Amino acid sequence: MRDLKYRVFFENLLSDVKNELVDAALSDGKLALGYSCYYVPEVLLNLGGCFSVRMRAPGIADTAIATYYMSEKTCMYSRSILERAIEGGYNFFSALLSTETCGMMHRSHEHFEMLNLVKEVNENFFVSHIDSPFITKDYAVKHYEKQLKKHILDRLNEVYGVDVSEEALRKAIAEHNELCRVVTEIGNLRKQENPPLTGYEFHLIELVSECCPHDLILPYLKETLEELKTRQPDEKPWYRVRVVLAGGENDDPDFTKLIEDAGAFVVADRYCFGSLPGREEIVIGENETALSAVARHYIETNQCPRFMNPEKVHGRKAYLKQLADDYRADGLIIQQMKFCEYWEYERMYCQQVMESEYGLPCMGIEKEYVNTSTGQLRTRFQAFVESLEIKKLSGEAAK
Amino acid sequence: MKYYGGCDVGSTYTKAVILDETGKIAASTIQRSKINAAESSRLAMQTCVDAVPGLRSPEDLAYIIGTGYGRNRVPFAAENVSEISCHAMGVHITDPTVRAIIDIGGQDVKGIAVAEDGTVKNFAMNDKCAAGTGRFYEAMARSFEMTLEEFSNLSLKAKSAIPITAQCTVFAESEVIALVGEGKAPEEIAAGIQMAVAKRCFVMAKKAGAVNQITLTGGCAKNAGLKKAIEKVLKIKVVELAVDPQLMGALGAAEFARRKGGAR
Repeated sequence: MRDLKYRVFFENLLSDVKNELVDAALSDGKLALGYSCYYVPEVLLNLGGCFSVRMRAPGIADTAIATYYMSEKTCMYSRSILERAIEGGYNFFSALLSTETCGMMHRSHEHFEMLNLVKEVNENFFVSHIDSPFITKDYAVKHYEKQLKKHILDRLNEVYGVDVSEEALRKAIAEHNELCRVVTEIGNLRKQENPPLTGYEFHLIELVSECCPHDLILPYLKETLEELKTRQPDEKPWYRVRVVLAGGENDDPDFTKLIEDAGAFVVADRYCFGSLPGREEIVIGENETALSAVARHYIETNQCPRFMNPEKVHGRKAYLKQLADDYRADGLIIQQMKFCEYWEYERMYCQQVMESEYGLPCMGIEKEYVNTSTGQLRTRFQAFVESLEIKKLSGEAAK
Repeated sequence: MKYYGGCDVGSTYTKAVILDETGKIAASTIQRSKINAAESSRLAMQTCVDAVPGLRSPEDLAYIIGTGYGRNRVPFAAENVSEISCHAMGVHITDPTVRAIIDIGGQDVKGIAVAEDGTVKNFAMNDKCAAGTGRFYEAMARSFEMTLEEFSNLSLKAKSAIPITAQCTVFAESEVIALVGEGKAPEEIAAGIQMAVAKRCFVMAKKAGAVNQITLTGGCAKNAGLKKAIEKVLKIKVVELAVDPQLMGALGAAEFARRKGGAR
């Protein structure tokens, strides 16, 4: 296949949190709002005059200082975020919208306040924490809605005068939905037998949509979608097997590439947040306010393993099976960051259920935030591909 | 006569096997790996080629498959297959009754469950640290100022085992030095080390779903003390292979080459 026109551009955008599109939005006087969890609705951070930035720490090599504050028994992602903050990597933020979903990331965000990070260069900077429910009852959604109002909308309005009216929210939702439609349409191309894009390329596209100001990245995404509609894949599919990649936080496209280099096409991605879930359109129901719709949407689509009610616990496995069917996957890879309090359990449980109850071959991986030990991982992925390939051949022979 | 090659470039040793059309081993070698994987593979395969009349270079072989951590760097290989699949195949053609493998290489430990046709049913791998690997044994032998072979046999004389608590290679080495300093019997310390490694192997084997008919492969399969400890921990007799267990990866690769090359 010919290279995507914007592949290198997208890779460059992801090489630094403060990329050239972020710089352009900042020079327009817009407010950069950081977040690192699906419980913080991205759409609320894209009200007029603001833009959301998914927090990443690309190229982080050492987390010595963050480890001193948070201990080595915390996940590398939360430590990497704190380390990057101490390095000054988020000094352009106007606010950090946090949630106590994940204890380790919450500790990381608390240290922004305790160590006076960012505030020393921007005195208006604030960290706001949401109390997030982990049940899906109506009263929980109501509580969540109140939290979003109190800790995101009211704070943005009080500190920066951001317009948080119903009209402003509806406009933000409409713009958000347009971005979601484009990303989803690109992602759906992966369902094809011989698709015009790789999982790595989609991972880049999905990440730039979360790490760049939406209005500035959208034209590139639209152009990429048009390019993909006419892009000719190689005559014979390049992959040996198709897999769903699931698990916790994963903002490293090189990890996806490593899997694909072993011959497995990553057809669908189901992480803490990303495209599945993450890029579903928000529908405002009749007799519903924009904020109510946002609250309901983010609780309904949420696939966080923090939810412990039976519908969500079983629903998460059914969702994976549905993805495997829709995207015609031969197997499932579940990745989990070391010390991740939720995915550590979810991965083990999921592996058992997906294999025994759904008959989907499954492989579990414990990884670090930074992609290390690639030699060993490559061996694991290749062996999994070989075993899936043999199962596929045996299945075809049996037919 | 056509010949097929398998080259297993490991972190510590490079192994090569040549099979003839009938699947009989025509030549094999085990050599210390060089820093350059391509050079290691060429030297090992050339050694094998030199032992087969009529062959002059690896290019004279009908089909070659690379495996091991350096499998991508075998310059004359037509393709590469993971060492997990190759070990399963190598063991299967050596003894088709085996259903599980514990492969202890230079830098990792793998548990592999094998299907009746020699394919991998499941596998588990410990690649996070050097504990229980060949590197670990090299460090332990160094602590006792022994060769690897001497250390491997040391625990066989022990009447009891002194438990080793440290799992990390570096800390285990310190613990062993301390125990030696306290005047503890070396064979009992060695037995403790072998038991600690055997327990790690037990975990790998169970994670992979291994049940019975188990064998050991990789360089550490020749460690008599470890074999005895594993039999004690797993409560089963380890199957002895008729071919050097360290050659299983290369043998499996050569068999894949014979099947793929022969089918072409």
